[in-house]
Order: sequence, then C-alpha cells, then structure tokens
Amino acid sequence: MTADRERAAADRAAADLAALDADRAALADRVAPPRWFGPALGLLLFVLVASNAVDSAAVTGAALLVFGVGVALLVRTYRSRTGVWVYTPPKQMAGWAVFVLAVLVPTYALALPWLFVAAGAVLGAAIAVLTHRWTRAWQRELREGV
Amino acid sequence: MTAVEPRFDQVVHAPPRLQVCGLLAAVDVMDFAAVRDAVGVSDSVLSKHVKQLEDAGYVQVRKATVASRQRTSLSLTTVGRAAFTAHVAELRRITGG
Repeated sequence: MTADRERAAADRAAADLAALDADRAALADRVAPPRWFGPALGLLLFVLVASNAVDSAAVTGAALLVFGVGVALLVRTYRSRTGVWVYTPPKQMAGWAVFVLAVLVPTYALALPWLFVAAGAVLGAAIAVLTHRWTRAWQRELREGV
Repeated sequence: MTAVEPRFDQVVHAPPRLQVCGLLAAVDVMDFAAVRDAVGVSDSVLSKHVKQLEDAGYVQVRKATVASRQRTSLSLTTVGRAAFTAHVAELRRITGG
C-alpha cells in the first residue's frame, strides 16, 4: 500500500470515528427525559411505601396497582419521546437495592405508621435524584465518544 | 479490562451500517423510526441494511403492537457489539489513535 493510500485510509477512518462521535453527542441530547420524569417516579414510590402506614390490604393493593400502572406509563412515555431504552447497569442497580433494603428492613421491623411515610419520602426523593444523576452520567459517557 | 483485538468488519463498515451499529451500541434498544431519523435514510434503505445486519447475526429485530400501532425496535446482539467494538478498535489503529 502506498503512502497516499495509507493516508487516505487514515483520513477515512478518522472521518468515520468523528461521525460516530457526532451521532453519540446527538443521542446524548435525545435521551434526556422530561424534567418531571424523576419526580413522578419518586412520587409513585412514595405512595407505594407510605401506603403501608394505613393497615389495610385494600389500600396497599391499590397503591401497588397505581405504582405498576404509573411505572408502565412512565416507561412508555419515555420510549415514545426518545425512541430508546437502556437498562440500569447492574452495579448501579445493586447499589440501589442495598439502599432500599437499608431503608425498608428497619421500617418493616418497627412497623410504625409515620416511619412508612418517612421511608417513602426518603426513597422517593432518592430515586428522583438518582434518575437525574444516572441520566447525566449516561449523557457524559455518550459525549465522550466511542 | 481485556484489550479489544482490532478487526476490520465489512458488514459493519459499509455506510450507513456503521452509523446504525454506533447508535445501537450506545443503548439497549432503539426504535426503528428513531434510528431512521438519526441516520437520515428512508424506511426501505434502513430496512435493507438492518436485514444485512440481522443476517450476519449482529442485530436483533423485535416487533410489538403498542396502542394498535406496530413498533419495530432494534438492538445489537452480543456478537454484533463485539464486531462493532473490534471494528472501532481497527479504525483507531488505522488512525494511529
């Protein structure tokens, strides 16, 4: 291969890499959820956990139904707005699971009505903040390029 | 972390398949319409290239009916992700990066 051909191949490869980077940067803008997405998810989680403050299977069942339908609607809205979906990375999911257990185990052990409300508020606020942080981290990763 | 062995992949390399693979590598699932809009080609052109990627075992195509409309979504398979990563490594090697 001549030097000219090698240079042409290198230019072409550089252009391909630049195009891939540009696509990822455009995707980073596209994947941002609406501002209310995290707070809405947090509110659903708060309602689910806080419903245990009322010692009623009907209330807990209704809260579970609202949570399930609400999360399904959020996922559907996100996918229809952005056209993409990513699953939370296992490491982040494991960290979240540990946090949830750390909050819920003592809450259910003590089973005080006000504690369920407080636990719901803590978990709801946490998921709203984490949703925002995870999205920002993902966008940063996309903008860093291939 | 294991270093990726650079490997030129003719299936991935041809435009706009490189672009399609690049988009799918960044997500778990992407709607056909979103890929089409990002790549800037017609439905038929994208379908042709997706079929080639699917035949190579690089892309998985799923069809689902949502609110009485059919939604086609695309995702990279493990083999496709590995081929794309190796191809990008080869592009970097060529550029000396």
